[in-house]
Amino acid sequence: MKINLVKNVLEANEAAAEQNRRRLDDACVLAVNITSAPGSGKTSLLEATVPALADELPAAVIVGDLQTTRDAERLAAIGAATTQINTEGGCHLSAAQVAKALDTLDLTSLRLLFIENVGNMVCPAAFDLGEHVRVAMLSVPEGDDKVAKYPTLFQPADVILIHKIDLVDALDCDLARIHADIAKLNTRAPVFETSTKTAAGLDQWYNWLRTKCP
Amino acid sequence: MHEMSIAIPLVEQLQALAAEHNAARVEALTVAAGVMRQVVPEALVVAFEVAAAETCAAGASLTVESVPLAARCRQCGRQFEPSIDSFVCDRCNQADVEIIDGNDIVLTSVTFQQADDEDQPG
Repeated sequence: MKINLVKNVLEANEAAAEQNRRRLDDACVLAVNITSAPGSGKTSLLEATVPALADELPAAVIVGDLQTTRDAERLAAIGAATTQINTEGGCHLSAAQVAKALDTLDLTSLRLLFIENVGNMVCPAAFDLGEHVRVAMLSVPEGDDKVAKYPTLFQPADVILIHKIDLVDALDCDLARIHADIAKLNTRAPVFETSTKTAAGLDQWYNWLRTKCP
Repeated sequence: MHEMSIAIPLVEQLQALAAEHNAARVEALTVAAGVMRQVVPEALVVAFEVAAAETCAAGASLTVESVPLAARCRQCGRQFEPSIDSFVCDRCNQADVEIIDGNDIVLTSVTFQQADDEDQPG
């Protein structure tokens, strides 16, 4: 017997994501899902961002990695409430994992929740975690050809960071090529050129977060 | 690499559907995968074989169909079919779209073997 149907295979993840979003809405917390390749600078960006906004927008971090608590230790060292999720081989975070991590945080004391996704330019793009906004990061050392190679990371992003911009000259990075490739995928997201080394662009990033916070 | 995260809920859905239809096992199924989800059909077939082992869907034949993109420009409302590497609207030259197709992974057909062939509804 053959039946035809229309059943969303990811409906369980999407239902869990909606539940996360409602829970965060109720607590007036903005959830920011940060996606990039490994080594783009997600953790160092948060090491700068969380203390810079601490007085006005207290933040916690949920950090996903295959193994180790190294990122959580770095973030705890700057005083951020941090929950590490080890996916043990999983190449992205799921909404159910984030739900469990939310249980460990006192949401009422927060205005911002950063979800540092597993470093990967393909898989995290396919899974809603219940975030309100999604950040796509590309760092200069990864090469100026990467936006076009990974369109599904950049097309749905709400903001795009071209990070480690201090290295642009040293690495002969064709910044115009990166901007041109982004313009083919996503003209809705603002694009900031950032560096935690020189603090370039960080004020724009912080202001963008301020405008998004409920 | 996220194909296992798709195969596991897919097998759970097949188990629920088989129970609902009083079916002994699943013989075949079709999944329509939107191109935005970057599913590699061969990888999904392998992941499905692993996830379905020792369930009523073990050995079922999985067909993966690709669903192309369709989008609506948020600036001018035009509907068009972007390619994966360019979402620029021809009319307003902006890449600001709402994706209306090609963004989902959908189970579209299942073929069951009935638990008791005598009881098959006419």
